[in-house]
Amino acid sequence: MKLTRQGFIAGLAFSGLALTLSPALADGPRVGAPAPAFKAVDADGKTRNLSEFAGKTVILEWTNHDCPYVRKHYNSATMQTLQKDMAKEGVVWLSVISSPVGEQGYVEGPKAKELSVQRDAAPAGILLDPKSGMARAYAAQTTPHMYIIDPKGTLAYMGAIDDKPSSSASSLTGAKSYVRQAVAEMKAGKPVSEASTKSYGCVVKYAPVS
Amino acid sequence: MFKGCNRTMSPDFTSRWRAGAALMAAVFALALQAPGEAKAAESAAVTSPRVTATLLSSRDTVAPGERFHVALVQKLAPHWHTYWLNPGDSGEPTRIEWELPAGAKAGEIQWPAPKAIRVEPLVNFGFEDMAVLPVEITVPQDAKPGDNFTLKANGTWLVCEKICIPEEGSFTLDLSVGPASVVDQPAQDRIDAALAALPKPAPFRGRLKGDSDKLALELAGLPAGAADLRFFPVSDTLIEHAADQPLATGEKPALTLVRSGAFKLQQPETTGVLTFREGGEPRAVTLVADVDPALITAAGGSASAEARPAVVRIPLPAEGADLTLWAALGFAFLGGLILNLMPCVLPVLFIKALGFAQVAHASRSEAREQGLLFLSGVLVTFMALAALVIGLGALGGQVGWGFQLQSPPLVIALAVVMVLIGLNLIGAFEIGGSVVGLGDGLASRGGRLGAFMTGALAVVVATPCTAPFMGAAMGYAVTQPPALALSVFMALALGFALPVLALSFAPGLLRLLPKPGRWMLVLKQAFAFPMFATAIWLIWVASVQTGPQGVLAALVAVLAAAFVVWLVGVTRGSLPRRIFGSVLAALVVLGAGWFTVQNAVPGATTEVRASDIGVWSPERVAALQAEGKPVFVNFTAAWCITCLANERIALSRQEVKESFGKLGVVYLKADWTNRDSRIAQALAEQGRAGVPLYLFYPSRKDAQAEILPQILTPDIVIAAAARAAGREAKTAALAP
Repeated sequence: MKLTRQGFIAGLAFSGLALTLSPALADGPRVGAPAPAFKAVDADGKTRNLSEFAGKTVILEWTNHDCPYVRKHYNSATMQTLQKDMAKEGVVWLSVISSPVGEQGYVEGPKAKELSVQRDAAPAGILLDPKSGMARAYAAQTTPHMYIIDPKGTLAYMGAIDDKPSSSASSLTGAKSYVRQAVAEMKAGKPVSEASTKSYGCVVKYAPVS
Repeated sequence: MFKGCNRTMSPDFTSRWRAGAALMAAVFALALQAPGEAKAAESAAVTSPRVTATLLSSRDTVAPGERFHVALVQKLAPHWHTYWLNPGDSGEPTRIEWELPAGAKAGEIQWPAPKAIRVEPLVNFGFEDMAVLPVEITVPQDAKPGDNFTLKANGTWLVCEKICIPEEGSFTLDLSVGPASVVDQPAQDRIDAALAALPKPAPFRGRLKGDSDKLALELAGLPAGAADLRFFPVSDTLIEHAADQPLATGEKPALTLVRSGAFKLQQPETTGVLTFREGGEPRAVTLVADVDPALITAAGGSASAEARPAVVRIPLPAEGADLTLWAALGFAFLGGLILNLMPCVLPVLFIKALGFAQVAHASRSEAREQGLLFLSGVLVTFMALAALVIGLGALGGQVGWGFQLQSPPLVIALAVVMVLIGLNLIGAFEIGGSVVGLGDGLASRGGRLGAFMTGALAVVVATPCTAPFMGAAMGYAVTQPPALALSVFMALALGFALPVLALSFAPGLLRLLPKPGRWMLVLKQAFAFPMFATAIWLIWVASVQTGPQGVLAALVAVLAAAFVVWLVGVTRGSLPRRIFGSVLAALVVLGAGWFTVQNAVPGATTEVRASDIGVWSPERVAALQAEGKPVFVNFTAAWCITCLANERIALSRQEVKESFGKLGVVYLKADWTNRDSRIAQALAEQGRAGVPLYLFYPSRKDAQAEILPQILTPDIVIAAAARAAGREAKTAALAP
């Protein structure tokens, strides 16, 4: 029984058919402007969209489990700690996997969930974006690439996870987390002081435009 | 090759294979560093399947006070690239950290003009095929002729195709100081060519203006007829790298750029490289542009694009990978010999040996034949297992020695085999139909196949008992080309078969055995109990893997097997009776098999059975190390007898616990009872293919772990704990 259900979910995720996107903004996302709407299938096979999180702060994390830069943040548990701390703040954390079928980093729902279990990761959801529609809408470039959307649906931050563009674990020492900084400033009702930074990491693998 | 293979594989396999390949390749990048090459003007190469890197010097001998160039040369495999100073939308530039003679200086990398490497819809700035990165070295005035002048460069770079792999290499150039410099002409020529190709300062300045999204880079002074322009900014927060850069011609030619989403510009001028074609020839110039004051963003503390050098650590291959072929063969042979003594194997072999005693009295040649048949049974089975391990490994599966015990149905099948052997030994049923005398039964005429099958059976029952030494040999084997891996398994098989073979060939040894008699029957029956004990252990393993359902499945399988052998025994005789018996037996086997497979499902998580022991994860190790705690990691599995023995003999001993407590050691367990790709990967990083593996991580961040032997004593563990905690000198009280 179990297997059949998993297979069904995998099939759903695999098809990626349900993934549709509202027309992407022509010139990409912009801090201070409404965040691009999205509609994507999560690792459980459920369709999620940005509007369901209205009233909550949402963090999008572009990820690819084998990327050395992503591994830096997961192997040191910094990413998991950040996810858990954000959850405590009531922030919705969504990990986004945009590698298309056949590309490195492509996973299906069960595998994505298994990765979370293995790494003790705590995203509120994992969105599968094998057609890269969401990546295009947000102009995601690297893994990791972070976006913060405020409760009103405005893009409040986009860019790097921290200020140390390196895959070396030692670079974590003394790194400034742009995400923590932005969330803390948003909570205090202040404008985000560094609202867009240059993300760093492995390149996001895009599906060809069909 | 890399690319071609990937295309044909399924995505899941591909990523796992790639991760494995990346790791292996990273290991090889260091392992293949050829030691002690004689040529002074070029260092030994650091080689990976993607990059062959050397450090090149234009001098063999340097003169005091002179300045000369060296260059880091990266020869890249097709489709792979390393990065420019500003890597573009992703990536990281190559960096060099120098260890120089006193007073010597090394300049910055003099970057060649980059190429825009499209990774649709993004772009990277970097180098394909070949990157020559010159660096100027200054020799101190007071350098003394006759002294050595050794340059050491620690390079780190990210190399990407579609996947990215951080690599590093250490390069040493042993130069000397002389009264005058001695030029290495071929190296000088190559470096000169690279220097000549560097972008030269443009004879004009640019001007950067902007409104909203678009920026205009005015290029007054651009040669007429320049085409195919592209501006590569040094700052990575200036423009959208992948955007087109259309040229507006006219009175003031200007490139239209798209302002970066992360735009930040704090200086009144900005630099970059401008590439273009002039009369068909490629040109590259460095361009300094004055910035329209309106564009300058308010100062706000943030990292600049020119980030500090990073050091990427690649796990070094440990023990297993250092093993030479001969040592691996030796260990495998020894391991095979030791396997004979395992409680699950000994009965099978001992009975076989007794059979020889019987036959040898009648015919020596027959005993020899039986010995050789046994040997071939062992060899064939081992080769089949080896082919399976190598085959699965090549396909990207994370398997290791002992993998066969990670499948609950297989564990249960082994338990059933053990019970059946036990029942046979105790005399509950006979193989072959007729009740025959003991001696005949052990070495009957039909015993040719029997001898071969005994060999095969012995290997099958031996698999749960991974002997000491075998971990290292197996680890070596699976990292080698198939031919070498097979030789290691072959050595193991020979070691395993040796005692029985020796017995069948050496009549002297056989004479040492008492004459066949009632004692043989008693011993045979007595040997049933180790088999039952092994079955109990296997069922316990299944219970750990699957929980109560697995125990039920195992016991049902045992019951069905016992019933079937009984049934076959009582339905002997007339044809209808035999048909009835066979049909019923087949139904029972099918039913029990189905039930077993349905119920023996691996549990989702592995529980850890002691509160003071944590669950291993690489993140946890890194985090604990960062907190300054020494970490002990026990890679184990319920089916690994050596592991369990070590836990009893050493790890659960009071003095070990006390020393861990005193030194603040955190004990983590990586339980490989069920399949776990991360554990398999961690084992592979240490050059191992199986458990046990004991690692002691020092309390310093990122420090390499010490590998403990596969057989532990409390003293070994306590001494290692002291080393890891950095208290080596003050452990007199703890020392034996």
